[in-house]
Amino acid sequence: MVKISPTGTLVDEKLAVRGVTKVFTGRKADVTALDDVDLHVDSGELVCLLGASGCGKSTLLSIIGGLEVATAGEVYVDDERVVGPGADRGMVFQAYSLFPWQTVTQNIAFGLEVAGWDKARRRARVDELLGIMGLRDFADALPKELSGGMRQRVAIARALAPEPDVLLLDEPFGALDAQTKRHMQDFLLSLWQRTGTTILMVTHDIEEAIYLSQRIYVLAARPGRVAAEVHVPFGSTRGPAVKRDPRFLDLRDELGDLLG
Amino acid sequence: MEPVAAPLAVEPTARRSPPDPAAPTRGRRPSRLLGIRSTIPATWRIALGLVGVAVVFAIWIWGAGGGSATIPTPLASWKAFTSMVSDGSFQTDLWASAQRVAIGYAISMAIGVALGIAIGSFASVEAFFEPQIGFLRYIPAPALLPLFLLLLGFDETPKIWLIVVGTVFYNVLMIADVARNVPREMLNASYTLGAGRRTILRRVILPHSLPGIIDVARINLAAAWSMLVVAELLGAKAGLAYTINLSQRFRAVDVMFALLIVFGVIGIVSDVLLRRLRWLVSPWARS
Repeated sequence: MVKISPTGTLVDEKLAVRGVTKVFTGRKADVTALDDVDLHVDSGELVCLLGASGCGKSTLLSIIGGLEVATAGEVYVDDERVVGPGADRGMVFQAYSLFPWQTVTQNIAFGLEVAGWDKARRRARVDELLGIMGLRDFADALPKELSGGMRQRVAIARALAPEPDVLLLDEPFGALDAQTKRHMQDFLLSLWQRTGTTILMVTHDIEEAIYLSQRIYVLAARPGRVAAEVHVPFGSTRGPAVKRDPRFLDLRDELGDLLG
Repeated sequence: MEPVAAPLAVEPTARRSPPDPAAPTRGRRPSRLLGIRSTIPATWRIALGLVGVAVVFAIWIWGAGGGSATIPTPLASWKAFTSMVSDGSFQTDLWASAQRVAIGYAISMAIGVALGIAIGSFASVEAFFEPQIGFLRYIPAPALLPLFLLLLGFDETPKIWLIVVGTVFYNVLMIADVARNVPREMLNASYTLGAGRRTILRRVILPHSLPGIIDVARINLAAAWSMLVVAELLGAKAGLAYTINLSQRFRAVDVMFALLIVFGVIGIVSDVLLRRLRWLVSPWARS
């Protein structure tokens, strides 16, 4: 849906979440995991869903991915209602999602084979992604032969391969050590700058959210709901230097207070 | 004395100095061979295995009492074995028994893979089969043999079906567990890559389960041979257990011993082969 942004330019709303509510029926009582959540991601935006554990942010991402069904409300991608999972919403999980019996190349090609791409196109697309991801030397390696950071790069490449409309990342760097995590954040930033992919990422890491995203939705828990929508004042060509910007530090404190 | 900056490199001679024997020690010294879950040197592992085998043979020889007791000596058993091989009766028995186990266990594994994967993957299939299997698996399979003989006659069919019935429930339930062990993230990733249920079953659940299925086949194969013995005891024209049973009438204990050892050897060989198969077909799951 094309709409007019606050600055007067035309933007294309890629993803829209409208009134999504999720109630888990429990034995003793029903638990409202998500309560009337509204949000959107514009074309080419990188948006973070920031929240403490248990706020329902991963449940929300699963609903957007079509892996879980909302109790009420809808998700739209390019104005089409989401009724289930599909390659248009590529998803990356924290861990354990690569096929361990397949090489890096085979993993990345999985979605392309499912979509019926012919061999020549598959090979070209995989080769392109191996280049972007810096994985050329590991094309024939098995996942168990890779480091944690490289595995996540393969997972991102695999999700990107079928050219999704939106890339959904569920705490993709949550299982990595601090240094690898920083490398992967820079990597994701440059990937986004180069490809212009629309990205929605779930994280509980405040600095990660500020460093990477253009906008942040802060989710509050019990019931999970949008507590705040925060615009990040750094352009899309930012680098590690913004982490020392006073606005970065102010925003970090502000978000820290919001998360409680 | 003036404090001096610590030297960057320690003198090599200082590093080579032996520990002070007079210094007090701390901590439990690890045991060399009896540390809980600790590894032992390979030479010790092989040596202990050989000693274990030697002890068994020593007890056997002692029990045989130089051929005076009912128990035959190892040599007598070996002679019984070679004479069965030279008159061809061993080959006939082995072929008859192995054929029954192969056919029966193949049917059992085929049902086990199909039903196990379905039960482990679909809650609806699980709900449908859970009560039957939960009940049927507690019926001792040998108790069904008289019924099978009545319904299916006295030829190979009831023997094969006893092997199927005696192993299929374990195969189904254990393979269902193997299929359930496919990580949820892997299935979710497949769905969000556009895969449908058939693709996920064929290209994700089956390959992920393959090493586990081979493990199940290896573990339950012993039960198939047990069922074979029961089946052959109740009547056959040839077979390893049939000949063991027949030897009782002729007091041919040497033949019994020879064939009991053959059962053990078959077990070890099939175990090694199935481990090898797992290693070959699922290199990603090598430990």
